[in-house]
Parts: sequence; structure tokens; C-alpha cells
Amino acid sequence: MDFDFTDDQEQLRDAVRKWVDKGYDFERRRGIAKAGGFSREAYGQIAELGLTGLYIPEADGGLGMGPVEGMVVMEELGRGIVLEPLAQALISGAVLAGYAPEAVKAAWLPKIASGESLVVLAYQERAARYDFEKCQTTATAASAGDGWTLEGTKSIVPAGDQADAFIVPAMAQGKLALFVVERAAAGVSTRGYGTQDGGRAAEIVLKNAPAALVTLDGLTALAHAIDIGIAAACAEAVGVMDKTLAITVEYMNTRKQFGVAISSFQALRHRVADMKMQLELARSMSYYGSLKLNTPAEERRAALARAKYQLGVSMRFIGQQAVQLHGGIGVTDEYIVSHYFKKLTQLEMTFGDTFHHLGEVSSRMQETAGVFA
Amino acid sequence: MDLAFTPEEQAFRQDIRAWVRANLPADISHKVHNALRLSRDDMQRWAKILGKKGWLGHAWPKEFGGPGWNAVQKHLFEEECALAGAPRVVPFGPVMVAPVIMAFGSPEQQKRFLPGIASGEVWWSQGYSEPGSGSDLASLKCRAERQGNKYIVNGQKTWTTLGQYGEWIFCLVRTSNEGKPQTGISFLLIDMKSPGVTVRPIVLLDGEAEVNEVWFDNVEVPAENLIGEENKGWTYAKHLLSHERTNIADVNRAKRELERLKRIAKAEGVYEDQRFRDEIAKLEVDVVALEMLVLRVLSAEKSGKNSLDIAGLLKIRGSEIQQRYSELMMLAAGPFSLPFIEEAMEAGWQGDFPGGMPGDAPLASTYFNLRKTTIYGGSNEVQRNIVSQVVLG
Repeated sequence: MDFDFTDDQEQLRDAVRKWVDKGYDFERRRGIAKAGGFSREAYGQIAELGLTGLYIPEADGGLGMGPVEGMVVMEELGRGIVLEPLAQALISGAVLAGYAPEAVKAAWLPKIASGESLVVLAYQERAARYDFEKCQTTATAASAGDGWTLEGTKSIVPAGDQADAFIVPAMAQGKLALFVVERAAAGVSTRGYGTQDGGRAAEIVLKNAPAALVTLDGLTALAHAIDIGIAAACAEAVGVMDKTLAITVEYMNTRKQFGVAISSFQALRHRVADMKMQLELARSMSYYGSLKLNTPAEERRAALARAKYQLGVSMRFIGQQAVQLHGGIGVTDEYIVSHYFKKLTQLEMTFGDTFHHLGEVSSRMQETAGVFA
Repeated sequence: MDLAFTPEEQAFRQDIRAWVRANLPADISHKVHNALRLSRDDMQRWAKILGKKGWLGHAWPKEFGGPGWNAVQKHLFEEECALAGAPRVVPFGPVMVAPVIMAFGSPEQQKRFLPGIASGEVWWSQGYSEPGSGSDLASLKCRAERQGNKYIVNGQKTWTTLGQYGEWIFCLVRTSNEGKPQTGISFLLIDMKSPGVTVRPIVLLDGEAEVNEVWFDNVEVPAENLIGEENKGWTYAKHLLSHERTNIADVNRAKRELERLKRIAKAEGVYEDQRFRDEIAKLEVDVVALEMLVLRVLSAEKSGKNSLDIAGLLKIRGSEIQQRYSELMMLAAGPFSLPFIEEAMEAGWQGDFPGGMPGDAPLASTYFNLRKTTIYGGSNEVQRNIVSQVVLG
């Protein structure tokens, strides 16, 4: 039982923080959001730090690191509300490394690690909402060779019209399977749009689109992918919330009303104490989620649902209170805090919202209680 | 980073578990698991069993006869005791005054008082709050005047938990009205058998006399019972309060009671009611998050690497959780928590409880009783002041 970071992990944190502070300031972010919500150049800089290969084995060109490193990195990107979806590289890297046949690994892992290719998870469908086991996209095996073709539509795919390929769940012979589909392939069309946090997503329509099989046990792999995504979203949210509270504290100590700094008012001070409470509960549960990421599937699923539920509660509270404590300036586009609020709102609805995960926790309850139960 | 306890820590836990199982009297754990009334004898019997083993002062350093455990070992010990259904150790002696005597008492005082605390022979009480001094403790007025080699104490203390059993009481008394209120306070140990000491129980909303008023009418206290220096008592008290606050999170008991809540909800037929079940699920996450918070503090203490200034958060969250589980237990029983039959709170009662489930008897009383948790030990509003001071400056 030990929650200290190693020196290497602290160095990794420093390196990412330095890039965010110097290379990804609010003006640059605003420019990227205006230009569509995704910058290949910025993504390339993240890749240069090695982060896109964080979960990819060294033999395949990555760093071969684990969940704690992933958590450290996502926290720092969260502090800068970075738009480029590194979490997607963590997911695709880990899922392909863990479940794909050698040929698929060889084709994609080195390119994901280097940043040459962005591969994102395209799993959401309109009818399924957060229930990823429901899937209407279908896969048909080619009559000759080992190829497949897919039919279906995926929604809100992160940077979907910028990505080079997708990891796509589809029903193959009545069972959920996982495939890789290239964006440039025939039969793939994308329709991109901005998202509320300033980022980018797309609708993906697959019509007789050629696909490479990752695994026929798609449920196992997809559940794992989503849990990696939850852990990343939790860590990212901790960074966002940490910075949101810092911005709010700074504002309250500067802003004067009735002749004094508004940080002197007890009603507001207690709100800040409650925000600090939610932040530390969230940080605790982010640690918990990441530290459970490599446990057996049932234990992992239960833990990540608990984590995402807490993070959802904390995100909504801290985001809403930060805006409220800023007063009028908090609801402007010009001032930074509204952008943190929107990021938190979007993260709450990423990989299952708070209602959804409360349901997960509720249906998985056991007789015993606590961290080790 | 690692969530798991080390093999050594796990072996330590097993040893503790085996010992507690072998030594905790079954009649006592039965009462704890069912929230039945504990007598003075129950509490002291367990204290003496621990004392004989040298574990009543389980957080004490070796030089004072404690086991010298680190923060994690202490936590594991407390957890095993709580899960097994041991009563909470009455903290005033071993947890609260003993560390002050160790840190600020003279060698003579240490020799005189610590053995009786360690063995569980001497029952200690706390004399802090006064009718006019609750959250604003430093405004206290109970006066101690030096006359030769003794103090003459006059005034009143209140909310003295289990003071009806107390043999000794540690008090904050006013020895000076000069300067700031904090600088005129001294820390005095008083024999409760002294002439002029009167203890009057206060019946609380659950019908139990858990706390007391303690009156001092020209009580003579030998000057050798003063801890440290005159007028420095506030410093010593703050030392003590910091001990009280980590203790107050009580996450181990919360785990045990959450498991009990699930059993009660099943027995009452509401566990499959989605509205009710979701409330338990929320509490389940709350308890895990509190435990993680506690483990983070322990880890920081163990390594000395990161200091975590979140004691106030532990107090706030821990107390809220205690109130919530007791609330849900009561709501699970619904109207069958309403009959107030005091005898049903005693173990072994054979009466006919309305509705037929005698286990419902203490549920509402416990709910009422635990309203205290967000008030005592520095009210949660005072804790929020402290937390916001750390965050906002």
C-alpha cells in the first residue's frame, strides 16, 4: 500500500506539464478549437514526448509503461484542457497489443506509437447509448481469404474525420467482434463536427467497408478498452478539476466586492471547502481506478464503475461551483473558467455518465464493502 | 504506487485477526454487531483484555510500552478490531490524554499516569467544552487559581462523554485573562473523586445518558497535576485535537456498518427496490472513496514523502457517512423503527417487538444519536473554515 510516485513518474509528469505550460497555452488552444478542434501538429508534439506509445510494448516501438504513468500523463493534459485525444492512443495501443493477431499489431502499433497514425475507438451507436454490449453494426466474412466487411454507423467518434483508422465493434455470426477499419478505405464516409468542449468528433458510416479482425471475443476486448478509457477520463478530469479550483481560488483572492476580496466571505469559503472535498475524493478514486486497471475483468469493471461514478459527481459539482463563484465573468466565452466547465461536462458523459455508473455499481454490489472488497 | 498491502502487512493483519477472534468476548461483539446497549463493564472488559496484551495504547511508541507500530499497522489493527465487532476503545485515556502526557508531561507524571491508562484500569474523561464555549473553545471560563502548591478550580464543563464512569479528567482551565484568550489556558489533570466535583448526566435525544455536565466547586488540585507550563495549555490541546481528527474518520466502522445496512435492507425487503438500492450503492462508493483518502494519508505518513493536509476533510466525510448509514438503516425498517422500547436495546431481551423484528429496535435511536458526529470534535462548519484556510489562505 503505497501512493507515492517514483522519481521516473515525477519526471514524466514534469515533462508533460512543461509542454502544456509552454507549448499549449490558452491562446493556442483557442486557435485550435476555432480551426476545427484538432491539430495534427499538436498531436505530433504529444507523440514526440513518447506519450502515444505509452501502453505499447517497447518491441513495437512504444514505452511499455503502465496505468500509473497513463494516469500521470492524463492528469497533466487535463490541467491544460488539451483537445487532442491522447486517451484514444492509450486505448488503441493497449487493445491492439493485447488482443490483435501479429499482422495487425505489426501494421499499426509502431505507427500509433510514433504518432504517424491516430487510431480511435468507434463504438458508440445511437440506440445503445452507454450500453456497449448493444451493437447494430454487422460484420460479414469475405467468401475468400480472411477479410471482413462492415455495415453500420458509429457516432461521436473522437476526432473521427481526422483519425487514420478506427477500432470498430460489430456483430459477427451473432457475437460481438472487434475490427480495424481504415478511414481511407472504400465504403467509409465521415462527417466531422465540433464538440461542446472545443474538440472534434465525427459520425462514421460504414457501407461494405473492408475490415481486419482484431478478435472474435469482442466483448472482453471492448470492456477492457472502455475501462482504459474510463481510467484515462478520470485522471484527465482530476487534472481539469485541480486547475479549475486553482483558477477559482486565484479569482476569489483578486476580485473585490463591498471593498474586500470575495474570498473573505464565509458562504463562499465553505463552497471552496466543498470543492476541495470533491477534488480529493475524485483524486482518490482516480488512483483507485488506475490501480485496478490490471486486475481480473470482474474486479476491474466493478472498480472502474465506482471510480467513474465518483468522478462524475465531483466533476459536475466543481464545474458548476467554479462558474458560480466567478459570477458574471464565469459565463463568458472570453474567460478561461467556462472552458474548464465545458470540458468537465463533456468528460462526465464520456464512457458512461453518472447515472449509468451508479447503475453499474448498484447491480454489482456484494455483501462486503470497501476498497479491498 | 501499489494498492495492495505488502506480504508483511498482510501477515500482520492475519496475526491481529487471529488474536482478536480468540480474545474478543462473543457477548460483546454480538452487542456491537446489533447496536445493542454496551455497559461500562463491557467497555472496560475489552479495554483490559487489550491492556494486558499491551495493545490498548496501540498507537504508543515503544519507549512508553506501546507496540511501536507504524501508521499502516495501526490502521490494520483498528480495522480488524472494528470488523470483528469490537467496541470502539474509549479514547480519552489511551488516544487523547496519553499522547499529551508523553509529549509534554514530566517523567514523574508519565510514570504516575501512563501505566493506569495502558492497562485500562483507570477511566479518563475529557473536560474541554463549556456551556458558553463550544466551537469557540478558547473562550472557556472554568477558572484555576494558584494558591501555593495547589490550584483551586471553579466552573463547569459539559458534553463530557461517559463522564459518569470517569475517575480522572483532563481539563482546559483558565489561568490568565491577559492577552489573547488562547494564551491564558492551562492543561490540568483532576481526580474526579476530589471534593467539590459533581457529575450530572445529560439525557440525549435517544434517551441515553451518554454525556454529562461536570461541576467544579472550589476543587483543590495539586500543582504537580499541571501538564507542562502554565498558560501553554492551548498548544497541548491542539496537539490532542490533531490526534482526535484522524481517529474520527472511523472508516473501518463505516465498512462494518455498510455491510450491516445491506443485511438490514435484505431482511426488510428493500434491497431489491431500485430507489433504495441505489442509495446504498452511492454510500458504497462514498465509503470506498473515504477509505482511499485514509489510505493516502497513511501512505504519506509512512513514507514521509507527501504531506497531506486533509484531516478536516476526513472528519467532515467520515461523520457524514456515519449519519447516512444510520439514516438508511432507519429508513429500511420504515415505520417499524418507530416503537421506542428501551428494554429491546438490551442483549437477550425476549419481548415481542412490534412487527416481529427486534433488530429494528435500535435503528432510530442510532440515527438520532449519530447527529452528534457532525457537531463534536470541531463542528463540520469549523472544519470547513479550516479547509478553506488551507485552500484560500
